[in-house]
Amino acid sequence: MHDIIRQLEVKREAARLGGGQKRIDSQHAKGKLTARERIELLLDPETFEEWDLFKEHRCVDFGMDKAEKTPGDGVVVGYGTINGRLVFVFSQDFTVFGGSLSETHAEKICKVMDHAMKVGAPVIGLNDSGGARIQEGVASLGGYADVFQRNVMASGVVPQISMIMGPCAGGAVYSPSMTDFIFMVKDSSYMFVTGPEVVKTVTHEDVTAEELGGAVTHTSKSGVADLAFENDVEALSMLRRFMNFLPANNREKPPVTPTNDPADRMDYSLDTLVPDNANKPYDMKELIVKIADDSDFFELQPDYAKNIIIGFARVDGHPVGIVANQPLVLAGCLDIKSSIKAARFVRFCDAFNIPVVTFVDVPGFMPGTSQEYGGIIKHGAKLLYAYAECTVPKVTVITRKAYGGAYDVMSSKHLRGDVNLAWPSAEIAVMGPKGAVEIIFREEKNNPEKLAEREAEYKAKFANPFVAGARGFIDDVIMPHATRKRIARSLAMLRDKKLDNPWRKHGNIPL
Amino acid sequence: MFKKILIANRGEIACRVIKTARKMGIKTVAVYSEADKDALHVDLADEAVCIGPAASKESYLVMDKIIAACKQTGAQAVHPGYGFLSENATFSRRLEEEGIKFIGPKHYSVAKMGDKIESKKLAIEAKVNTIPGYNDAIAGPDEAVKIAQGIGYPVMIKASAGGGGKGLRVAYNDAEAHEGFSSCVNEARNSFGDDRVFIEKYVLEPRHIEIQVLGDSHGNYVYLNERDCSIQRRHQKVIEEAPSPFVDPEMRKAMGEQAVALARAVNYESAGTVEFVVSGATKEFYFLEMNTRLQVEHPVTELITGLDLVEQMIRVAYGEKLPLSQADVRIDGWAMECRINAEDPFRGFLPSTGRLVKFQPPADATDASGTTRVDTGVYDGGEISMFYDSMIAKLIVHGRDRASAIARMRDALNAFVIRGISSNIPFQAALMQHPVFHSGIFDTGFIPKHYPTGFDASMVPHDDPALLVSVAAYVYRAYTDRGASVSGQLPGHERLVGDQWCVVRLNPAGNEQHRVVARPIAGGYHVEYNGQSFEILSDWSLGQSLFNGTCNGEPFTMQVERHRTKYSLFHWGNRADFMVMSARAAELLALMPDKPAPDLSKFLLSPMPGLLREVAVQVGQEVKAGEKLAVIEAMKMENILKADQDCKVKKISAAAGESLTVDQIIIEFE
Repeated sequence: MHDIIRQLEVKREAARLGGGQKRIDSQHAKGKLTARERIELLLDPETFEEWDLFKEHRCVDFGMDKAEKTPGDGVVVGYGTINGRLVFVFSQDFTVFGGSLSETHAEKICKVMDHAMKVGAPVIGLNDSGGARIQEGVASLGGYADVFQRNVMASGVVPQISMIMGPCAGGAVYSPSMTDFIFMVKDSSYMFVTGPEVVKTVTHEDVTAEELGGAVTHTSKSGVADLAFENDVEALSMLRRFMNFLPANNREKPPVTPTNDPADRMDYSLDTLVPDNANKPYDMKELIVKIADDSDFFELQPDYAKNIIIGFARVDGHPVGIVANQPLVLAGCLDIKSSIKAARFVRFCDAFNIPVVTFVDVPGFMPGTSQEYGGIIKHGAKLLYAYAECTVPKVTVITRKAYGGAYDVMSSKHLRGDVNLAWPSAEIAVMGPKGAVEIIFREEKNNPEKLAEREAEYKAKFANPFVAGARGFIDDVIMPHATRKRIARSLAMLRDKKLDNPWRKHGNIPL
Repeated sequence: MFKKILIANRGEIACRVIKTARKMGIKTVAVYSEADKDALHVDLADEAVCIGPAASKESYLVMDKIIAACKQTGAQAVHPGYGFLSENATFSRRLEEEGIKFIGPKHYSVAKMGDKIESKKLAIEAKVNTIPGYNDAIAGPDEAVKIAQGIGYPVMIKASAGGGGKGLRVAYNDAEAHEGFSSCVNEARNSFGDDRVFIEKYVLEPRHIEIQVLGDSHGNYVYLNERDCSIQRRHQKVIEEAPSPFVDPEMRKAMGEQAVALARAVNYESAGTVEFVVSGATKEFYFLEMNTRLQVEHPVTELITGLDLVEQMIRVAYGEKLPLSQADVRIDGWAMECRINAEDPFRGFLPSTGRLVKFQPPADATDASGTTRVDTGVYDGGEISMFYDSMIAKLIVHGRDRASAIARMRDALNAFVIRGISSNIPFQAALMQHPVFHSGIFDTGFIPKHYPTGFDASMVPHDDPALLVSVAAYVYRAYTDRGASVSGQLPGHERLVGDQWCVVRLNPAGNEQHRVVARPIAGGYHVEYNGQSFEILSDWSLGQSLFNGTCNGEPFTMQVERHRTKYSLFHWGNRADFMVMSARAAELLALMPDKPAPDLSKFLLSPMPGLLREVAVQVGQEVKAGEKLAVIEAMKMENILKADQDCKVKKISAAAGESLTVDQIIIEFE
């Protein structure tokens, strides 16, 4: 008995050291923490319950039978709490076989995912892996696919979050890519399907791993990742903060954080947010920050498709998903990237019972060959589809322009928007006055005086919220300073909203 | 009394005049340019008239439009404020011709004193001390150089019609005299429509002390003591105080009497200011100029004398007699004014424009220890446009003595919240704690002498770092406790927030770790640090910028911003950045690599929003350090961007005429 206990201690000690002190030092030298250190920072102190510490790989080929077997096989798994709330975690250990994924390594990940599904709790993956355990061949590949299948089954059931904290290349990228959010650490993480060497051979492009798939690339160019952090410590601390916005599963409402920020707080500075000149931009983020509880807005993808803003905030203590056009960038118009960015976010909110608050200032869809050739028709439809199928409470505030098809798309009344409000500066129309007049009064195109007159006429008729109000497309015109109060009341009224879509296997969103 | 007056100005001074008019039961008419249609003065006035486009040349400086506005609204008198048409004799004469009272001196006084050359001659006649100089019009730069040589360097070249620091150059050699003359003439022509300039001896180590005078139409004159405006940056006043720490009663009397003699010499009726340059060593004072208008810094005089100068101007214009004689003039306590400018002290004080995302000045208050007053023309959510002056507010305090005025000012600066644009508040706070400023022994060279390379954050040391550490622990703990109050926790396994924390102060030179114990108490947190206890009580709530509280019973005010995991505290002009975490996390943080900021030396970035007037180089050109690269215009000022080092131009990324945003790339170097 004593012998067993001694063995247990020896094994635990060995597991704690992972691939040994030398590799730990090398991990630190790269500016990275170890798998266990990361878990320590992520979870509430002393709450981590580790599983499968004794699990070892079963490979005997290519000398693996002679290689030292490290208990745990390159991944630390288990559960714990973040602010008292249950989460499941797997953290890949780069110090053990480069964090490579073996059959047993995959089994451990699958185990926590299965449990998370059973009890309805989020899965957080801390990825730091060189890729497949090549010595194992197809067994390793099978392991990946087992994880992929579980990612898909868990999608929309429990939140899945990937924090990329080291390499993640080849097939391995497809597990994070199917999770709900991907966060990355700058300079120490990268994700790509094929690495720089292969790229060089095939396309003759010279590119570094950082340029090809670093945190900055994926948060600004590709849109694969949602946020980039400076280092592991910041990343894990922010991930803790992020988890407070998410429910544990799709049967739960998102968690409530009490606040002393009054729901009826007025902010008169908002009355001057929208400039008189319709062509002058303003920063929509100011509005979001000023209506959020404690000015706390957790923005996602801030550097990608900046013409639309997405992220989480709370109103009255309850989390909401915010989607907002950003007039500062491309006048806030919808294009391929912004449609995809917002569509995926709306669907996440819908899947997890998070109300969606939409701020609209959209002049339309982006014109041009690059957009048309790129398939703006299908990609723009994603956002339309996402809003239309969405059954969570939807509150919309039109601050200025809501033109054309883009007006319909942005959580309009017609797409089952629950409460649709407009600021006095709102203009809801098929298009801007100038463009509209040039089409309607085409025969007067050589008469600028007449045209200007027509434009003024059009402006007087449509450049206001009343035409839409007369049809009930907007429920009320509100003063900007009262926006927080009006949103808070709408959301309170909608808290027990019930709305179901007809049964089907699944819809066919234009992918 | 007048029934209705028009204020031919904008910004804080228009609001200031409206306030007094309202107190006196007089209706007010504001005028505004298109850029100002949402401005505060428009909102405060009973009526408002739009007088044209943004450029002041097409609006605030157009007499016809203002006279028309008077007629349209039935205004009986015009208060001109300062700047614009306030010292324009033609304007006051034309008003007189139209039967409208000018709330200010008569046009003949303005004409005589408004012209620096004539005023000097008059001063000599009135036996007022004057400095040597050349008083006649100068034909061109070559003649200017000859005159300068005659007087002896350094010399001052100044616009005859100028005021404040506009249109003023100091030259230490022929080249500077040549260039200074040309640019002075240009600026004078653009700003005042009058390109005459004059040259005189530049007095070294001078103090700028001015006497406030008040005259009525019945031949009565008083002087309302002095104001010391020696703290200047590029000849623009930064801090003004009354009385002066330098002037003794005898000197005050001598200066005051000379000022009154000068006023009498031109039958001066209204409030006016006689500016003197005073030698710090010899106490000799020389007449500089007379400002025939209300000064920006008039509130400090109001606070020590108890008079409302605007009210007195209105009463005098209406023909009333002065309510007091010289014997009634008192000096009560000490008053001080900080000009709050929309400029970035950390970027060479370049103008900052844009939306005031937050503008929350300290509240006007009078209590046992003194008075806090804010004169401003902007508001929360307002816009700072590039068309007008960068001064957005005046923060004025009054205390029983200089030390208590300084203390009150420091507190008020702590409580002044401005976001969206940069302000000079950190710089003002730094000045307010500078030992030389405290000593009262300084001259107009104070700022260039003590801040020769500009201003940076390291120049504001904080004398109570323990308070910063404790407040950082408080703020972090408050956020952490809030996070730990989330619903949906595992019953019986709820999050318990510990009391042991490590406050990491982030410094460019390396982080410092401070172990603290922070535990909640009623109304705040108790922090133990370095063997000391700090009981911090506050009604601060998360997300607020302003942190009012007490530490062991002592009240303090700070500002707090959170960015991701970093907390920035702003106090006494100092900014301190912190992260707070468990000791273990701090140990792990120490393993994280330092990431140097990207090298920006290869780019010329726009230091401010503005109009790119000129790109002075071409692609491929070799440029020497100090050579002109580009010119940006913002807030009426031309800013020349020069090369920091020898370089070769690789790419020009912005074209002349383009509107620039902050940090926009203008030129790329190889």
